[in-house]
Amino acid sequence: MSTKSAEEALFENPDRRTRALIRVGTAIAALAMLALIAAIVLRFYQAGQLAPRYWEFFAWGSTWKFLLSGLIGTLASAAMAAAIALTVGLVFMAGRLSKIWPIRWAAVALIEFFRGVPSLLLIYFCFLILPSLGFKMSSYWMVTLPIGLNTAAVVAEVYRSGVLAVPRGQRDAAVSLALNGWQTFFDVIFPQAIRYVVPSLLAQLVIVVKDTTFGYVVTYGELMQNAKVLVANYNSLVPVYLIVAVIYCLLNYSLSKTSRALNNRMGAPATLSKAGGRLNRHAG
Amino acid sequence: MPDRIRIEKACKHFGTLKALNNVSLSVRAGETLVIIGPSGSGKSTLLRSVNRLEALSSGDIWIDDDHVSNDGANIRRIREEVGMVFQDFNLFPHLTVAQNIELAPVRVKKLKRSQARERAVELLARVGLAEKHDALPGQLSGGQKQRVAIARALAMDPKVMLFDEPTSALDPEMVKEVLDVMLDLAKGGMTMMVVTHEMGFARAAADRVVFMDQGEIIEEGTPEQFFTAARNERTVKFLAHIL
Repeated sequence: MSTKSAEEALFENPDRRTRALIRVGTAIAALAMLALIAAIVLRFYQAGQLAPRYWEFFAWGSTWKFLLSGLIGTLASAAMAAAIALTVGLVFMAGRLSKIWPIRWAAVALIEFFRGVPSLLLIYFCFLILPSLGFKMSSYWMVTLPIGLNTAAVVAEVYRSGVLAVPRGQRDAAVSLALNGWQTFFDVIFPQAIRYVVPSLLAQLVIVVKDTTFGYVVTYGELMQNAKVLVANYNSLVPVYLIVAVIYCLLNYSLSKTSRALNNRMGAPATLSKAGGRLNRHAG
Repeated sequence: MPDRIRIEKACKHFGTLKALNNVSLSVRAGETLVIIGPSGSGKSTLLRSVNRLEALSSGDIWIDDDHVSNDGANIRRIREEVGMVFQDFNLFPHLTVAQNIELAPVRVKKLKRSQARERAVELLARVGLAEKHDALPGQLSGGQKQRVAIARALAMDPKVMLFDEPTSALDPEMVKEVLDVMLDLAKGGMTMMVVTHEMGFARAAADRVVFMDQGEIIEEGTPEQFFTAARNERTVKFLAHIL
């Protein structure tokens, strides 16, 4: 559906004067950025951070291999945490929308708990308290499970907002075709709800990737943890973290790129058009 | 002909608003009943209670031997036989035209995909949209959407069809294509309850016309009686506005 983009709808096309102003502003901003970068590089140079001994180990294959194994650790943990979040989030949401109040209350309690408690606290719980109660898990799960559950609570609310955004007439139509509650939800409501919330889900996915950096707490070998090891070995703080930051940026950037492509293939979200945007009148 | 739909003393309150006030009405098998009235008169609520999209506050509705308004009734089995068409079409936007039509037969009646597909092709031809089989609802005009919605309802082989202002959201030039399909249905002996403002349709297709205002039935009769010799002053006033 080729509706206007938000920018087109919100702003008029700039006239010539405005376009000239924009060009001047862009040039000034670009110069300022360059100056800032130059200043930073200069400071590094003066502080001796550009000395070869801080950088030379990046020429060794073993360094990159080590970072790569960290990256794989990050991906493995993030992927599993995301899978947990997307499925458990669905269960949480179903409970939250249940007509049976004990289920609904339990879901609200769980959602609020996991949404309110920081992942780090849950990781400490898995790391320090659960083992003393006889529950032992690997460092992989000590990172992944808390992040997954934490995110599930947020995802549940994201799903719910999507479900509530589906026009009521859709439910009316499904129900009047004699579909049962389950079919109405999974065949009609949820597939539409998902399309509304893909951008929010994507934002959560990026947070999941970043949350895995808590791996250092339980010495789980993810990218950040491995970076810390390199820093300690080569006494090279700035270069290592700089490189790692770039890797995280690239990772999350490609994540949003793929999701956007996926979203486009799924079809643009159902626009609130005549087809079902209006609320069904009760009387009339 | 026996009564197919019986509505007895139906009442529906929304808070203090009485959307339906003691409405009794029956529709014979094969009959086309047209309900007209100003907005807020309760006609949509009446229609929506026939398949229990709206639950009555009190009163009873029967479809043949099925007690629709009984909480214990297997409402889904009853709904299998009651098709409904909405003002806003309510096609499923994420499914193709064919998938819209096949969904309920496959899920509810457990028809094989291939059977449902055959039936969809047949119904689409009947509403004149054979070539739109694989289109998405967003690619159709309003009139086409509504015809698909009718085909979707017919795919369940209902014995009753409910139409809730089916042409009110359409551009004028598309009204006729939808009414023609409905007229065909009426001639084919379908039992129909139609809420509409299309007086031409009422004249051509209705066996009986009912006028509602403020949750009550004010007047009913054949289209002849109704349009030429309405007795109640509210009916006369409404007709004067709309004709």
